[in-house]
Amino acid sequence: MVAAAGCAMGGALHQATLVGQCATDDAACSRRHPQAPIAIGTHFHPDVSAELAGNTTPSLRLDSAVPEVIAVEDGALIARKPGTSAILISTDDGSVVDFVHVWVAPATKITLARRDGDRIANAIALAVGEDVTLVPALWNGAQRLSGDGEVEWTASAPGPIAILRDGSADRRRLRARAPGRTTISVALGEIKTAVDVEVVP
Amino acid sequence: MRNASLALAGARVALVALAALAAGSGCLPSLAAQSAAPPGRAARLDEDITFWGTRHYRLELSQGVALAISCTDGGPCEKLIATSDNPAIAEVRAASLTALQPAGYHGNQQSAAAVVVVGKAPGATTIRIRSKNGGRDVPISVVAPPISPATTAAAR
Repeated sequence: MVAAAGCAMGGALHQATLVGQCATDDAACSRRHPQAPIAIGTHFHPDVSAELAGNTTPSLRLDSAVPEVIAVEDGALIARKPGTSAILISTDDGSVVDFVHVWVAPATKITLARRDGDRIANAIALAVGEDVTLVPALWNGAQRLSGDGEVEWTASAPGPIAILRDGSADRRRLRARAPGRTTISVALGEIKTAVDVEVVP
Repeated sequence: MRNASLALAGARVALVALAALAAGSGCLPSLAAQSAAPPGRAARLDEDITFWGTRHYRLELSQGVALAISCTDGGPCEKLIATSDNPAIAEVRAASLTALQPAGYHGNQQSAAAVVVVGKAPGATTIRIRSKNGGRDVPISVVAPPISPATTAAAR
């Protein structure tokens, strides 16, 4: 009965979708995975739309069933502790148009990938003047998690590489400045990873 | 002769009682779940069915889970209002469904009437669903989510 309301996927009532805000050409975007659990301590910035026959998308707002698990602040979902919480998609009068059960899980591993999604498995070599953009990915076992975290980037020796922000909360651009070696460490809370970088003339 | 009169009177009482029971069951709205439970969580609407129809419903939800429930009474329920005795345990909100359902017996259709019940915290309470032609009081049990294996292992 309800499925006949529209062909949109995502919501339990098939009337609305809740996906991550992501550039179409950003293959490694950590926000691209709306079906994945959100990592504890990270934010998920959803893009909500509805497909209601005969209507444009009405003004919608989000509410969490259990704010202790997922809080909604300024339109973003904030993962607080493991579990699941229904995210209600409602009109401005409180009528529920749809809902999505969103899961929260702890991150057990962090990996790095290039922007094209290619995973970094070994040391990186750059010539002076080159740069590479790295994107951290959070995992719970074999499952990739979604969410943007305030990831901390540090270099063991700051000389060879400049770590540049590009506007993303987690992504960084590494710029080769001078010949040498350094180790770039990436951490979100207790979860850490590192990659060796060699800069050649 | 007297025994026959008593038997006839008894039969009349029984028929009146049965008719009242049938009429009562027939006038009450029917409820139906319109969404599924997420994996490992509970979201089920059960009904106690008698020969005369559904006597009452009961609902079980996990904390954090939402369930959409439609209300019909010869068509979508009219003037549907639902309240929770304890919104801290289970919250109930109106649902806007664009799907049309048959209403009456002459080909008319109307938008589905539904509510969404949300399990907020473990405990028991009652959802009271009222429409123009009657209502249902649905006892609801909200259960705590299962303990994750990691938490269990840590507790050991």
